[in-house]
Amino acid sequence: MGIADMIIAAAILAVAGYLLYYSLWKKKGCCSGSGCGGSCGKK
Amino acid sequence: MSTQPNFAPDREQESIESRRSNLRPVEKRAITVAVAGNPNSGKSTLINAIAGTRLQVGNWAGVTVEKKEAIFEYGGCRIRLVDLPGTYSLSPYTQEEIIARDYLVHERPDLVINVVDATNLERNLYLTVQIMELGIPVVMALNIYDEAQAKGYRIDVPGIEKMLGITVVPTSATKKDGLDELLKKVLDTTANPTGQKPAQLGYGLDVETAIRLVSETLTVNQPALIERYPLRWLALKLIEADAHVIEETKIGTIAVLDEALHHLRNAHGEDIEALMADTRYSLASGLTREVLKKPELRKTDLTEKIDRVVLNRFLGIPIFLTAMWIMFKLTFDVSKPFADWVAAMISGPLTHWATALANLIHAPDWTVSLLTDGVIAGTGNVLGFVPMIFAMMFFITFLEGSGYMARAAFVMDRAMHAIGLHGKSFIPMLLGFGCNVPAIYATRTMENPRDKALTGLLIPLMSCGARLPVYIVFIGAFFPNHGGSVLWSLYVMGIGLAIFMGFIFKRTLFRGEAPMFIMELPPYRMPSFRSLMIHTWEKGKHFLVKAGTYILAVSIMVWFLLNLPWGVEHKKDSYLGKIGQVSAPVLAPLGFGTWEASSSLIAGLIAKEIVVGTMGEIYVKKDAEKKPETPTFGDDLKEAGTSLVKAGKESFSNVFSTLGVSSLSADENAEKAAERNPLRAELKKHFTPLTAYAFIVFVLLYMPCVIAAVAMVQEFRTWKWYGVAFAYQMVLAWGMACLVFQGGMLLGLGG
Repeated sequence: MGIADMIIAAAILAVAGYLLYYSLWKKKGCCSGSGCGGSCGKK
Repeated sequence: MSTQPNFAPDREQESIESRRSNLRPVEKRAITVAVAGNPNSGKSTLINAIAGTRLQVGNWAGVTVEKKEAIFEYGGCRIRLVDLPGTYSLSPYTQEEIIARDYLVHERPDLVINVVDATNLERNLYLTVQIMELGIPVVMALNIYDEAQAKGYRIDVPGIEKMLGITVVPTSATKKDGLDELLKKVLDTTANPTGQKPAQLGYGLDVETAIRLVSETLTVNQPALIERYPLRWLALKLIEADAHVIEETKIGTIAVLDEALHHLRNAHGEDIEALMADTRYSLASGLTREVLKKPELRKTDLTEKIDRVVLNRFLGIPIFLTAMWIMFKLTFDVSKPFADWVAAMISGPLTHWATALANLIHAPDWTVSLLTDGVIAGTGNVLGFVPMIFAMMFFITFLEGSGYMARAAFVMDRAMHAIGLHGKSFIPMLLGFGCNVPAIYATRTMENPRDKALTGLLIPLMSCGARLPVYIVFIGAFFPNHGGSVLWSLYVMGIGLAIFMGFIFKRTLFRGEAPMFIMELPPYRMPSFRSLMIHTWEKGKHFLVKAGTYILAVSIMVWFLLNLPWGVEHKKDSYLGKIGQVSAPVLAPLGFGTWEASSSLIAGLIAKEIVVGTMGEIYVKKDAEKKPETPTFGDDLKEAGTSLVKAGKESFSNVFSTLGVSSLSADENAEKAAERNPLRAELKKHFTPLTAYAFIVFVLLYMPCVIAAVAMVQEFRTWKWYGVAFAYQMVLAWGMACLVFQGGMLLGLGG
């Protein structure tokens, strides 16, 4: 695995990590619809 | 006490009017309109019909548990509609009542649309009286008016307007009748708030004297409070000894209040709150008597006829279980051909064209593998089950909209009361069949914090849609001819274990008597096709969003964990393989103590669908000897179209064979089936029917997903209950899977 491959792999993992953090933590796993009972919005 | 409407003009009226006159003209600004009413009076339906939004609706009480908004333009004015939770009163006893009341008192919308169920006028008017006491302009939407007329009710609408002094507009939100008129009246009233002369309920000489005394004292001594609260309303709350208001205003005990209450208590007894509630009920009752004429001879309506059977003491639970069985059988039979089609498209043309595209741009080999063995195998295996999830959500939406779900809670109330719970806990649990997360938030309808926490602990035992892909892949591989029954057994097991665990918790962590359960049973209604489609989509799209976000992210991470250290030859030696090997012995007594199963379950801690995605990455191997086929894009498109039509035909015929012999393709060519769904074929090599069933039982019961954890912490404001849920579910999952496997072995069902 060359340096270019390592950079690509690191970039992909960083994007995946951010996606996971954003969808699980920041958005608390919620969709925008009402399926979440409005839990994503304010209370 | 008189039951006739009793209105007394008062000088507090002046303060109400002065508040209104401070409102700015409507043309110059956006207006905020709160929509308030009793549960199941159609508030969310009304907002959806007016603003074209998709707030969740259901033919049962308690669908909206927090305020939601919709913004739209009408008549050149920007209107912000705020949907408040349904409440029977504005007393501070439940979370919904507090949310609704706090909003009306503190946010002070420009107007309140009071949605009143025309078929239940008397009960709804109690809230109307309380809303009017807040001094905010009110327009009444006399909703479900069409049903009232169909029942032969004659309602004197001008009579209500005259007696209450507010505008009343008959509406039928489901048919979109009267909505234009309602909006016009809303704009008229907000443009000229002083034009409305709402009547003011008189509580009798003694109470009115007390109100006057308290109001005068507040005006002199508490000017800051008068700015924040409607004066008469505040005086009423203080006289009622409303703990929430007393705490919020930090008013403590004022001498004049003691003096006023002393006289009232001497004259009317200790319970002043009951005295005032009685006056409001008398008004509602008297007004109803004046304006409503019901037919002399009332026919037994369809709802009563159906309820005689559905709510029967002996038939209720068997009917509920049968309804569930039919729902799961239909879900499985109708959607399986489409799920197979999606799976075939993903493992065939999509993989083929993604590989071709990657090769075309000379992508490194490992990225091609990441794309096909990671992203497509992981996310694609979850996406393959989207038709089943949507079918399940369709049937759940139908049951909710028809009014049957409320009956299910009522029927289960008897069973749950026997073990110290009550039927209201069952309502959030039923919501949990769709997704546990909104169900956990729905526990805020419980008055008692202990019941709320207990219900929250039991909700993860309700099998949510995310677990469906795991069940379906194993059912497709091992129980294709009994799919509906196996699926049904899992859901019933979840309910049964929730009752069992409730029994244990009520005798350990949550000792105490179960409160009485009073639930409104709405009339049966046929949900409109449009509403069914919208709400099925709203519920189901959550899974599409998940597939495109954290399932995709976890699929990528799992691929790396399966391929690191770099150049690893066997997946078993990868990082994920090693983690799986460490935990596999714990699962050995359950019949699936392999690193593959163990690793999949670990990945599934994020979300249960990921179990299937990870299995797709672990089990499905590339057939190196197989010659790569190179169909053209046109061939693939033709094949996709032909197989979709075939799936449609198969699904259609399955609807008719649901209660008979299913036409599921159990006899299809094994090689063709393996090609169409390689994961299912691989699972057959690693599991037996017994270990497969033990595995899906484990998936049903093991720890709540991360999102449910976040919801529990947010709702209960402590990690404690999530910790309890995590611990007991792990033990329960292990115990039940062990029981299934070891019991099956003892019975000679094979291992």
